[in-house]
Amino acid sequence: FLGAGGGNDIQWCFSQVKGAVDDDVAEADIISTVEFNHSGELLATGDKGGRVVIFQQEQENKTQSHSRGEYNVYSTFQSHEPEFDYLKSLEIEEKINKIRWLPQKNAAQFLLSTNDKTIKLWKISERDKRPEGYNLKEEDGRYRDPTTVTTLRVPVFRPMDLMVEASPRRIFANAHTYHINSISINSDYETYLSADDLRINLWHLEITDRSFNIVDIKPANMEELTEVITAAEFHPNSCNTFVYSSSKGTIRLCDMRASALCDRHSKLFEEPEDPSNRSFFSEIISSISDVKFSHSGRYMMTRDYLSVKIWDLNMENRPVETYQVHEYLRSKLCSLYENDCIFDKFECCWNGSDRQVEFFSIIVMTGSYNNFFRMFDRNTKRDITLEASRENNKPRTVLKPRKVCASGKRKKDEISVDSLDFNKKILHTAWHPKENIIAVATTNNLYIFQDKMN
Amino acid sequence: MLGKGGKRKFDEHEDGLEGKVVSPTDGPSKVSYTLQRQTIFNISLMKLYNHRPLTEPSLQKTVLINNMLRRIQEELKQEGSLRPVFMTASQPADPLSDNFREAQPAFSHLTSQPLLPTDFVSTTPLESCLTPASLLEDDTFCTSPTVQHDGPTKPPPPALQPVKDSFSSALDEIEELCPAPTSAEAVAVETAADDSKDHLSESNVQKPEGLPESRTAESKLMDSLPGNFEITTSTGFLTDLTLDDILFADIDTSMYDFDPCTSATGAASKMAPVSADELLKTLAPYSSQPVTPNQPFKMDLTELDHIMEVLVGS
Repeated sequence: FLGAGGGNDIQWCFSQVKGAVDDDVAEADIISTVEFNHSGELLATGDKGGRVVIFQQEQENKTQSHSRGEYNVYSTFQSHEPEFDYLKSLEIEEKINKIRWLPQKNAAQFLLSTNDKTIKLWKISERDKRPEGYNLKEEDGRYRDPTTVTTLRVPVFRPMDLMVEASPRRIFANAHTYHINSISINSDYETYLSADDLRINLWHLEITDRSFNIVDIKPANMEELTEVITAAEFHPNSCNTFVYSSSKGTIRLCDMRASALCDRHSKLFEEPEDPSNRSFFSEIISSISDVKFSHSGRYMMTRDYLSVKIWDLNMENRPVETYQVHEYLRSKLCSLYENDCIFDKFECCWNGSDRQVEFFSIIVMTGSYNNFFRMFDRNTKRDITLEASRENNKPRTVLKPRKVCASGKRKKDEISVDSLDFNKKILHTAWHPKENIIAVATTNNLYIFQDKMN
Repeated sequence: MLGKGGKRKFDEHEDGLEGKVVSPTDGPSKVSYTLQRQTIFNISLMKLYNHRPLTEPSLQKTVLINNMLRRIQEELKQEGSLRPVFMTASQPADPLSDNFREAQPAFSHLTSQPLLPTDFVSTTPLESCLTPASLLEDDTFCTSPTVQHDGPTKPPPPALQPVKDSFSSALDEIEELCPAPTSAEAVAVETAADDSKDHLSESNVQKPEGLPESRTAESKLMDSLPGNFEITTSTGFLTDLTLDDILFADIDTSMYDFDPCTSATGAASKMAPVSADELLKTLAPYSSQPVTPNQPFKMDLTELDHIMEVLVGS
């Protein structure tokens, strides 16, 4: 196991937990997305109530070398509001499906947040100074009687309490008939894509009144629909390349230079089905819930219901690695189908870019049930299961590895499959781009873990 | 074809429907394969029709459930137990609606995802045939047909007693003519339907109009489709064949001989009123079919009228 100590193994320690303590979860507080910005200084979460909460890491205190800075609330704002589609008589949820940060260009931070239908570009800026000494206004804003002004002075900026303001700079609306599942910013930092169940659109960040449709898999006859788009992402380095995954377990790589409408893929990644594992649920569990390029762009990772697969972009017919996340669920698929858990969309993430040297020292992380999350270390070929729980909430306590007992005699400290709480699911996780700091979202709490520094 | 290797143990401790995939080539677990399939089919239908969201349901989920239903449907069709008497909902023309509706006929698109081999032909030796039905003749629970029919019909409501009688008399007629496997298959499906009814009864608190889950797949579709299409704007399903196809195609109605009995009585407590139109449409093909040696079942129009009277008029 990772965490067993020694060598290059990471020992994960609890750092912080954010969110309500009580078990009664308010629907609006359910976390729906987690994302670090490019420097890792900021950590954004979106929730079902349409709010975005951004945490900022404290600057490292040089004297406190035993831990990295804590994350504290930096800004909170209401990104999306519920809407009503009058044509279909249905509500449009305000739930934030995805947040993606833009790289920082100036003092302000920018992020894209999206719900099912509308993408918004938010500017988050700090204000820690304000002008004082106006001639015509009092400090509280009241206008002075001009006749009382006897001298003129130049207003000066004086420090004030830090205020973080979020303002919507662009609203990209009315381009998606179906539910948006992904947004991805291009490496040119000028364009981005948004994907719904059947279409992918390309936008320019400055232009809100039009977008280009680059993928359209809607059949002429909707009754022939058997496959939908589940995720899409731009290549980290090639601004003309993107991938999208489907509900049938395929990933298509497309080159925008080939044609305006990228309906024909350049590459199709699909692993043939293992006949010994075939069941009624084969298709459903093959549906890909997340796709992420590695930082180098040479590999991509996909998450389906039971596994994580790492693909080499040069090899289409099978992944180079497959990690079983919770194989013990394979015998429970019927129940999981009945209670809809089989449709849960788990995300996955790579460890930080600075730590990855090509294919070595790659670690991938993904969530599971019972507030467990899993990490797979490509280098050591080891995997570990950890739990996000308030019980382990002493900082610098190394997390104890967990183990699920699939069948047979349950050893001490193991948990049996039937005792798993399927309401406690970890769908969203994020890894700091540079450090070994991870953010793990349970239903309504955000956990931050760090590796143990010596 | 599902691999013969790696025979899986049926875990007694788990819910009978859980456990690993039950390969239909295994011995007695063929029955549980049917049972599992039936249950999954029921669950899938419930998911589609019970859904009354305030927000638009997930298209991905709808597509996956629909694919599941179609796959099972295709499987059943190949086994000959599911005949194309599916109702076609007269779907409202909705040019503005961009919502997903289930596929039109053309089972061809299903060939990409077969769960069972598509080469089910009668020339296949019985042993390698994956049809559970054909192997069920060895199963012990295939008792005399009349006894079987009494089982699932408890408790029959008084109003339907006359129907049951006329049905069972018709059924008796059929049994004389039908080969054993067919009746065994029907029995198995019935039993499966009842098991699944019990299994699902507690979870089925809220029902859409016209969807008793204890029925077998076929009768479910017959009853539930027309009404529900109006409501579930985005989950249309099973508009598989137009009425013309039904009327003028050869139909093996042997399975349906038993279904009306089951559905009319066994599910009586949960059966929603079936409109006369629906029943008439579903039963009409029977009367217009020429009787072939394999399809001995005939239903007189007079019997039809009688049934309808009872179901609707009472």
